[in-house]
Amino acid sequence: MTVIRTEALTRTYQMGDTTVHALRAANLVVERGDFVALMGASGSGKSTLLSLLGLLDRPTSGSYWLEDVEVSTLGRNRLAELRGERIGFIFQNFNLLARIAAWENVALPLAYRGGTVGHGAQKKMAMESLARVGLAERAGHRPTELSGGQRQRVAIARALVTRPVVILADEPTGNLDSATGVEIMNLLHELHAEGVTIVMVTHDPVLARHATRVCAMRDGILSEA
Amino acid sequence: MSILDLLRTAFRSLNANALRAALTMLGVVIGVASVIAMLALGNGARAAVDATFKSLGANQIQIGQKFALQDGEYQPIGHKLTYTEGLEMIEASPLIERVDMSVRRTVKTRYGRSSLEIRATGNTAEALIALAADGTVQPVGWEAGAALAPQVFIGEGRFFSADEVLAGAPVCVFGYQTALDLFNGDNPIGATIWLERTRCTVIGVLAELESTDLEQRYQSDPNEALILPISTLIQTLYEEEPSIFMVAHASDANRIDEAKAQITDYLREKHAIQQDETDAYLDDFEMTTRKDILGQQQEAAQTFSMLLAAMASVSLIVGGIGIMNVMLVSVTERTREIGVRLAVGAKGRDIISQFLLEAVLLSASGGLAGVVLGILAIPLAATLNQGTALLLPESIPLSFGVALLTGVLFGLYPALRASRLDPIEALRYE
Repeated sequence: MTVIRTEALTRTYQMGDTTVHALRAANLVVERGDFVALMGASGSGKSTLLSLLGLLDRPTSGSYWLEDVEVSTLGRNRLAELRGERIGFIFQNFNLLARIAAWENVALPLAYRGGTVGHGAQKKMAMESLARVGLAERAGHRPTELSGGQRQRVAIARALVTRPVVILADEPTGNLDSATGVEIMNLLHELHAEGVTIVMVTHDPVLARHATRVCAMRDGILSEA
Repeated sequence: MSILDLLRTAFRSLNANALRAALTMLGVVIGVASVIAMLALGNGARAAVDATFKSLGANQIQIGQKFALQDGEYQPIGHKLTYTEGLEMIEASPLIERVDMSVRRTVKTRYGRSSLEIRATGNTAEALIALAADGTVQPVGWEAGAALAPQVFIGEGRFFSADEVLAGAPVCVFGYQTALDLFNGDNPIGATIWLERTRCTVIGVLAELESTDLEQRYQSDPNEALILPISTLIQTLYEEEPSIFMVAHASDANRIDEAKAQITDYLREKHAIQQDETDAYLDDFEMTTRKDILGQQQEAAQTFSMLLAAMASVSLIVGGIGIMNVMLVSVTERTREIGVRLAVGAKGRDIISQFLLEAVLLSASGGLAGVVLGILAIPLAATLNQGTALLLPESIPLSFGVALLTGVLFGLYPALRASRLDPIEALRYE
C-alpha cells in the first residue's frame, strides 16, 4: 500500500531577484513499511522535501498524495488536521515544550483532536507510547530534567502516539553523542521492524544503512540510489 | 483543544512568568479599583443630596432672596422677601393654597422669676400641618409608620389660628422641654410670660417629640421650642423686617410650573425688577422645586458619568496596552512552541484560543483583584469626601466587564499574530 506519492513536486523560493529552486520535480513513492533515508549535503533540498512531505509547507507546483488524499492544494486547517492524524515528526533538536511533563508532551497531538480524546485517555495513550520507547518511569519529568537521548525518546513517543501512517525524522541523532545516537537509531530500527513507515533525512551514510531504501538529494534533484 | 486543556495551558504559562503577569495586571487592577471607588463617591454624594431634599414635596416651591457675590462674599441682593408678600402671594396666585413662612431668633423669655434664652420660631398657623407632612419628628411612643395628623403634636391647649397670625396676636406655644424648664411645674396654659418687653399668653404646649431618624435623635432636641405667630415675632422682636424663607404649596403638583410663573410675575412687579439689554430679568429672588433639584442632579450625574467613562477608557487603554505588550513579547518568546504545536496538529484557532485565553485570564484576574481593592478603597475615598461614599452595585459588573473586554480587545492582535506564524519558520526560530 502506498503511503506517499509525489509527482513533479517542486518548490521554489524568491530571494530578491533570484529564484531558488529548492526542489525540482521530485517523484517519490513510499510504500507502507518502507524506511527511506534522504541523503544529501546541507542546502541540497532534503529538508525542503521533508517539510513538504510533513505538510508544513506547500509545493510551488506538482502533486502530493498522502495515502488517498491529494494534499498540495488543501487549506491550512485541513493540513493541520492531517499532520495531527497521519504524520509523526522527529526533529534534530527534539522540539519538546519545556514547561510541561514528558507525558504531556507526548499527549500534545491528542489534545489537538478537537477535544475528542479526554484527559484520562490522553494520559493513558501517552503512557503506552512512552513505555514503547522505554521511558515510562520518566513520564512525570520535564524535558529539562532528561538527558538528550531521553528527550529524543520522548519526541519519538510523541510521534508514535497518534499511530501515524509515516514518521518523518529530520537528523534525529544530529544533536546526540554517537553512543546515544546509536541507541536512537536502534529504536527507530525496532519500530521499523514492527511495521512503522519512516522517512529520515540525514547526511550520515552510516545511519543510512538502517534504511531499506536510500534516496539522494543534490541541488534540488531527487534520485534513488 | 478542549477548554480544560486550554485553561491548563494558559494557567501554566502565566504561572511560569508570575511576576510579569502580576505587573501586567496592575494596570487593570488600578483602573478597575479607581472606577469602583469613583462611582462610590458619586453615589454617596447623590445619596446625601437625596436625603437633604427628600422633604421637599412635588407640589412645593422654595422661595428665598437671591444671594450673589459682592465684595468677595455672598450677600443677599435687592429686596427682602417680606411676610406681607408671603400673604399676598396666595392672593396673586390662585394655584397656591398656602405659604409656609418662618423666622427664628433667640429671645430672652421670662416667667415670674425664672428666665431663659430660647430660640423662638415665628410660624404661620399651618406649621403643624407642615410638621406632620415633613415626618421628621413624631410624638414619643408613636407607632412607627403610623400616619401623623397635625393635632397629635399638641400636648395641652391649642395651636394659634390663622386669624391670630393675621392679627399678630400675642400668643405662644411651648415645646415640651422648654415648658418644663420655664414653668417649674406650674400649669403653662393661660400663663403670661414676657418676651423681652412684650407680654404674651401661653395657649399651648407641644407633645413630647422625638426624631424619626434614629441617628438624629440625640443630636437636636425637638422639644426645645417656642413658637409664635410669625407676625407677632416680626412686629415685637425685630427692629427691621427680616427676609423670609418661604415654601409655597401648589394645589396641583402637575401645575407647579404655572404656579411658579404666577409667583414670579407677582414678585417681579412688586420688586420692580428691571430687564438687562438681552431682556433677561434681573430677579432678586430664587425659586426651587423638586423638579429643578432633580434636573440639577441628573445633570451632575451625567457629568459624573462622562468623567467616569473617560477614566474607564484611560484605564482600559493603559491596562490593555500593558496586556498587549506582554502578549506580544510572549508570542515572540514562544515562537518555537507555536511551531511545535502547529506541527503536531494545532489549528489557527487553537493558537488564537490559547493566547486570547491568556490575555483574558490576565485581565479577569486583574479585574477581580481590582474589584476587591476598589471595595476596600471605598472607606478611604469616603474620608476624602466627608464620609459620603456608597458602593454602587452596578459598578462591579461594569468595571469587571470593561476589564474583560480589554483583555479580549488587546489580546486579539497578539493571538492573531501567533496563529498566522509559518510552521517551518516558527520551528526554526532560535
